[in-house]
Formats: sequence, C-alpha cells, structure tokens
Amino acid sequence: MESSWEPADAAFREELSAYLDEELGGWERSETGLGSAVYTDFSRRFVRRLADRGWLTPHWPEEYGGGGQGAWQHFVLGEEMWKRGEPRGPQYMNVNWVGPALIKYGTQEQKRTLLPPIARGEVFWCQGFSEPEAGTDLAALRTRAVRDGDDYILNGQKIWTSYANAADHCFLLARTGTLADGRDGISVFLLPLRTPGVEVRRIEGLVGEHSFNELFLTDVRVPAGCLLGEENKGWRIVRRTLAYERVGAPRYARAALVLDRLAEWSRAHGRLRDTGVQEQFGHARTLCEAARVLVYRVIDERAKEREPSAYAYQARAAMVQAERAVGDLALDVMGSEALVEGALGDAQFRNSLGAGIAAGSYEVQLNLISRLILNLPKE
Amino acid sequence: MDFEPSPTQRALLDALGVLLSRRAGTGRSRELAQRAAYDHELEDALREGGFLDLYATEEAGPLGATLAVERTAAELGAVTAVPHLLVSPALGLGPGEGPTVLAVAGDTGPVRYGGTATRMLVAGADRCEVARLDPTRAQPEPTVYGYPLARVAAADRHELGPGTAATMLAWWRVGLSAEAVGMMRRALDTTVEHARTRRVFGRALGSLQALQHRLAELSVRVEGARWLVYEAAHLGAPPEAAAVAAAHTTAALHRLTRETHQLKGAVGLTVEDDLHLWTLRLQTLRAELGGLRAHRRAVSESRWAATA
Repeated sequence: MESSWEPADAAFREELSAYLDEELGGWERSETGLGSAVYTDFSRRFVRRLADRGWLTPHWPEEYGGGGQGAWQHFVLGEEMWKRGEPRGPQYMNVNWVGPALIKYGTQEQKRTLLPPIARGEVFWCQGFSEPEAGTDLAALRTRAVRDGDDYILNGQKIWTSYANAADHCFLLARTGTLADGRDGISVFLLPLRTPGVEVRRIEGLVGEHSFNELFLTDVRVPAGCLLGEENKGWRIVRRTLAYERVGAPRYARAALVLDRLAEWSRAHGRLRDTGVQEQFGHARTLCEAARVLVYRVIDERAKEREPSAYAYQARAAMVQAERAVGDLALDVMGSEALVEGALGDAQFRNSLGAGIAAGSYEVQLNLISRLILNLPKE
Repeated sequence: MDFEPSPTQRALLDALGVLLSRRAGTGRSRELAQRAAYDHELEDALREGGFLDLYATEEAGPLGATLAVERTAAELGAVTAVPHLLVSPALGLGPGEGPTVLAVAGDTGPVRYGGTATRMLVAGADRCEVARLDPTRAQPEPTVYGYPLARVAAADRHELGPGTAATMLAWWRVGLSAEAVGMMRRALDTTVEHARTRRVFGRALGSLQALQHRLAELSVRVEGARWLVYEAAHLGAPPEAAAVAAAHTTAALHRLTRETHQLKGAVGLTVEDDLHLWTLRLQTLRAELGGLRAHRRAVSESRWAATA
C-alpha cells in the first residue's frame, strides 16, 4: 500500500493543469446550461484542441488514435476536467466508454468509421438506455428492434437522454428478444440520430436547459451493421463497458472545488469564523475526501487490469454523499444569496439533487454492496 | 498509488496476527478487564517482536506502524499502542516501559491507563511536554468503557522543541482513527454475520432491505475511514489529512455504535456477547481530542485557516 503519485502521473497532472488554466482562462461552465447551445458549442471547439494535443483519448490504444497511456493518467485527466466543470461536455462519455466499447466489440468496419471522429473530437454521442417504464430497472426496457432483411426496424421511446439534441449518434439499447427474455433479449445499436423516424423532444428540467430529452423512434430503419456485438448479448456489453463508469465521472473533485470557493465566499462574508459553519465545512470536506480515496481504490484495480470488483459501488455511494453534503452546505451557509440563479450555491444544490439518480440510483448501489460485499441474502 | 499490501506489509501483519492470537483477543481482554490491568506481557512481546520500532524502519515505516496499531486494537490488545508505535517515535522519543498517556494541556479528564502510567505526553499551544507521572497519586475512576481510566498527576515535566504539539496531535488523530477502524471492522463483521444467520419472520434478518441499506451505508463509511487513515499515515500525517481521517472515522463510529447494537438486539447488550468489547472501547476513542466536532473544526482550520 502506498498513497503517493508516480512521478510520471504527477508530472502529467502538472502539465495538464497548466494547459487547462491557460486554455480555459476564466471559462465557467454555466451549470444551469448543461446541454445548452453555449456549453455544447464551447465543448465542440475545446475537444478539438484537446485532440490536437493527444489529450482527448490518451488511454486508447495507439492504432485507434490513442496515446496508449495508463489508467491513472486517464483518471487524472478526468479529475482535472471535472474540477473545472467538465469542459469536454458530452465527450467524456465518448472517450470513457463508448469508444472503448467499440474497440472491444466493434467490427472492423464499425471501428474504421466510428472511432476516428471520436478521437478527433468531431462527434457527440448520447446514451439511449432509460425508458418511461425502465429506469433503475433497466432490464425491463421495451424499445423493439426487429430484423427485416439486411436491416433492423426500431420502434419505441427513450427518456432522460442528455445531449440528444446535440448528438450525432446514440448508443442505444433495444429489445431483440421477448420481454420474458429479460436481460438476455437486449442488443446494442449504434444509431445515427439523423435517421428518418427519430425525433428528439426536450423535457424542461431543474438542472439544465437540455439535460433531459425524449427520443421517439418510429419505424426507424437502420442497416444490420449498426448492431454492436451479437444479437441479444447487449446486456453483457453494457455491464462490462460501464463497469468503471460508476466512477468515471469524478464528481467529488467538482464538489471539493466548489467547497473551496464556498469557503472563500464565507470568509469574505464573515461567516467562516462561526464554529458551527466550520464544523459543517469540515464535514463536507471529509466526505469529499472519503469519496476520493474510495474511487482511487477502484482505479488501482483498473490499473492492475483486475476484473472490476464491487468496490465501485461503495465509491459511487460515497460520491453521492459528498455531493449532497456540499449542496446542503451551500444553502445553509449562503442563505438567500444561494437562491440567485447561477450562484455558487444554486448550481451545486441543483446538481446534487441528481447525484443519486444518474448512472444507477444510490439505492441500487446499496443493494449491490449488500449482496456482493456484505454477502447478505436476497429477499 | 497502490491499494494492496506489499509482501513486507503482509508478512508484518501475519507475524503480528500470530502474536496477537496467542496474547490478545476476546478471552484475554475479558480476563484483564476483571483486574483493570495493562497488559505488560503483550507490550514485552511486541517489543521483542520489533513491533514498537516499526515507525523508524525503512520497510514498515509509519504506515506499517499504523497497520499494526489497527490490528492490535481489533484484537483488543490492552496496551497503549498509539503513543508507543506512532506518537513517541514521531517526536523522536523511545517507546518507554509501561503505559504512556496522551493529553491536551488544560484537559483534566481521566485518561486510558492513567492509573499505572509513568509517562504522559501533553500537547500545548505549540510545544509538546513530556511529563513523568506518579502512579501513587493517580485517581482511578470506575468505568465500563473498556479501558481502565484515571486522572493523573505529573511529577515533573520538560518541553520538547517548537512545533512538536502539531506533530503529536496529527499522529494522535491518525492513531486513534486506526484503532477505531480496527474495532469498527470487527463490530461490523460480527453484526453482518448475525444478520446473515439470524432468522426472523421465517427469513434471514439480513434479507430485509431496510437493514441491508443501513449496513451497506455503514460499510461505505468504515471503508472510507480505513483508506483515509492509511493515506494520512503514508503521507506522514499532514495536519489536514490527519484531521480528515479522524473526522470521518469518528462520524462513522457514532453511526456504527447505534446500528450494530440495534441490529444485534438484546443479545448485543449482554456481557456474554462480544459486540460490546469493541463498541464500548470505541466510546473512549470518541471522547479523545474534543471528539467529532473538534476534528471537523481542525479540518476547516488546516484547509482554509478558518479562524484566521
């Protein structure tokens, strides 16, 4: 056991930080503008510059436009990006798991056509998983894909699809088997969103302009080449490629940065000398740090190329606790100043409302910890 | 970064495990508790095994010493492991013979093993003092919280160099957190085992989701505390990391005490059951250094200079 950084990883962080500080300057992600045109346009320009430096897909194998870097450097990249409000926008999904899924399961043709645009930062992908009747219980999804000659015809509805308004492709789950097949009847489709029959509608949300969308699929005809991997084997693909995604977005890093800013604000407003306030700050900082070490433990497994373990669920639960604590502190300490749209407290609080929902609910993490780590019996 | 024990760390813990299985554990702890005694034999065995010198060795270092403190507490060793293995060597002092107690200047409350201790380390505003204690003047206090308690009287004292109080406080925080983590892991394990096997309403207690979620949250807290402690130890107890480890550990301790006793039911309140051997001792740790609120303020102070 040891907790120091390898010199190469520390040097990479330093170089990256210096670059980001200069490149991003005073850029502030408008947290209420997740998915908004301003944010998305910024991300498009930014990721191309990142790609030019080799820092968009540094962890991919070199043959697919990557830099062949290790798990820790990939993670350092994610941490520094999240701290700064994730200027890559939806691209973090592409580079973290959509690309790696294509690399692992894609045909030569799929890799040849789909990977280079991701590596160059030219495309956005969105994730078509949840449906009105299948969210936390994802395996209940009903969107149908029926084989018709050399094509598939898709019908159904997806929901909560962040960035669908701006994306070029959707990593879509659809049912090729029957409902009774459950997880064994699901396939992955790589759907170009400009295909006729695809309609995106925005859902007004509390977090961002376009953070929620609905995706309607009406007789959408796609060539069989859009199927990723084998028919009915989609669940395994998703499970495997998303194994690390529970900790793929190091949200505690953002929460910790916001907490530092809240401390500055509190000092400037004479509130930091209050011992009760100090205790609440200490509490929130502690939860951010606990999330960080638990995430690091998962990255250590990944760096050693171990099979993903259940520790990721503990790490994600800890991240939820950290984000909530900082969101609560923001409102408690800033008072009505926190209610002003776009204020530090407003942004953190609204983001924290979704912390335990996106990417697998908090309660599902607790179920998995009970079963896989504590070995408690199923009901 | 490496989250797996090295071969050296593994060997160290194996050797310590063998020693503790012979000389500590629940049976030995119960026997010593009858006499409110300090375990001089265990201390001697640790000294002979080289465990009191781990801090300064190249192979084990402060993290190895911290792991040994955790394990010794988990096995209910009745010795003052934190001052012997961590605080004294961090201050450049030898471990001494018999119990050493830790205190903050101005706090007159009773301390663990104060009745037989001959040495006390006291954290002042800037410097740490080493005091010789006179056991004949100590005032024992009755207690059920696992460690014999007494108010102490210093015979004479001398000051260490500038800044030593901060070093002492940081390693005390890391050390008491390591002890708490060791005990919490045992208390959680025994409670989870109970939840797996105990049947209620025709099903396993631990199959109830309302209880599963509480145990899962506990495991998140205890594991977070554990890795924060290891990190703080490995980095040499920087003030912020030490305070973070102590704050998270102490918060986990509060929750763990309530949840484990609630889940174990009336059985957990009997002397025959082992749970209290860990949970009562944990309350003694909870009371040190001003407790949770003080640890949290220390986090704010070290991170943001909050009182400046």
